[in-house]
Amino acid sequence: MIGVIARHESASLARSPQTWLIAALLAGLFGFLFLQQLENYLTVQSQLALQDHPPGLTGWMAARFLAPLAIVFTIIGPLFAMRSFSDEFRLQTWPLWQSSPVSTTSLVLGKFLGVLLVMTLLVLMSILMVIAMRIFIPVDFGVLASSALGLFLCAAACTATGLYFSSLTRQAMVAVLASLALLLLLWLFGSASLGSLSLDGLKHLSIAEHISGFFQGYLRSGDILWFVLFSALFLILTIIRLDALRHTGH
Amino acid sequence: MPSDADILLTASNLSRVLSDRAAVHDINLTLRRGDVLGLLGLNGAGKSTTLQLLCGALAADTGTVIVNGHDLHDEPLAARAQIGYLPDLPPLYPDMRVNSYLQLCARIRRLHRSAVATRVEAVIEQCQLGDVRRQRIAELSKGYRQRVGLAQALVHEPAVILLDEPSNGLDPQQMQEMRELIRTLGEQQSVIFSTHLLAEAQTVCTRIAVMHEGRLVADRAADGSDLGTLFAQIVNTGKTDDTDLASRQSRVDANNRDAHL
Repeated sequence: MIGVIARHESASLARSPQTWLIAALLAGLFGFLFLQQLENYLTVQSQLALQDHPPGLTGWMAARFLAPLAIVFTIIGPLFAMRSFSDEFRLQTWPLWQSSPVSTTSLVLGKFLGVLLVMTLLVLMSILMVIAMRIFIPVDFGVLASSALGLFLCAAACTATGLYFSSLTRQAMVAVLASLALLLLLWLFGSASLGSLSLDGLKHLSIAEHISGFFQGYLRSGDILWFVLFSALFLILTIIRLDALRHTGH
Repeated sequence: MPSDADILLTASNLSRVLSDRAAVHDINLTLRRGDVLGLLGLNGAGKSTTLQLLCGALAADTGTVIVNGHDLHDEPLAARAQIGYLPDLPPLYPDMRVNSYLQLCARIRRLHRSAVATRVEAVIEQCQLGDVRRQRIAELSKGYRQRVGLAQALVHEPAVILLDEPSNGLDPQQMQEMRELIRTLGEQQSVIFSTHLLAEAQTVCTRIAVMHEGRLVADRAADGSDLGTLFAQIVNTGKTDDTDLASRQSRVDANNRDAHL
């Protein structure tokens, strides 16, 4: 059942011109950033060579090209997830699911996986650009794999957040803005301070704090677990919210 | 002689209070195979809320619903698999094609993959959707949309079919076709459909239940002679004779008890 719903969700995204427009813009953006960082590397290559442990091209691209894309995926996760439930409410298709033999958990997981599939394709698109360098030079697949995992986990967390806010309102734009407000706040937590009072404790809630290691090739189980728990939290909140609709009636 | 095995739906003491919609109080209904029950009432009488309670879209405050032997509260998925529900606005995805939409509906109603194509073909024929099967739902007329909505409710051959004002917005010919289809469905399954037209209910149904202010005030054979008087009283005065209401309610309950025994 989860597979049926996931296929329906990803097909629904594929039918939307908005998805293709975003994908085209992202392809353009990824290409621009990739070439810009490649040129930057070539410019500073001679200076880097003087360092004790100069970064390779893969390490450079992971830190300078792939790492900033985490912010891009933070924005597009809610954009793709915004219609998941908002549209069901707006188009009045919600009774179809409520009266069908589909559990709320299956429905939420199906929709999550459907959106995540599209997000994963976009992550792969960015990774493939770096892999394409293999034609000319050796590529460090370890760093690339950990960067891909970081982007995937970030995309999953942001999709789950978008899905939750989408279940709260029939206005897709409200869902996007609310998700972005929360996610950007979570990015900023790492650098939070209140006057002279440093809020170091908030660092543990920061996305930046947990994602940076992936782009340096470090896989920390704590970071992976943080993203998994973050995604699970918002998926569970979505299930609770949708189950409550049967009781509140609106 | 009808047996207990023919009982497809039992609702007992079903109540629900909502802040923004009609509440329903103490609804008792028993539906057997072959019953076509018209749920008759004015707007706001609680017909749609009752149908939502019966299909599980809304949770009841009190009471139980048993669909083909499955308690809607204890076995929600098994019970909902036995129900086909058409809300007052058909739940359609405008960007999908009719064929794909019905396939999706069949799959989420737990129809086995191998049976999907056959059933989709069958409902397309049953609801006369052959001409538009490859069209996008957004391009369809209101009549066709209503038929697609009906087809999604029938695609998994449910034991109980719940239709919320299915003839709303249809032209007279489409209305006639819809009524004919509902009569045919009632031969093998049981159907509840809501309407605010007594004549429509009398044309299509074997039984009529009159709702007023969230209560069932009558439940009898469609040719019941006092139905017209009762409904006229509700339409003209907005109320039933209060002294009569208690006795009507007790008669409804007694009828349901008899049907249950």
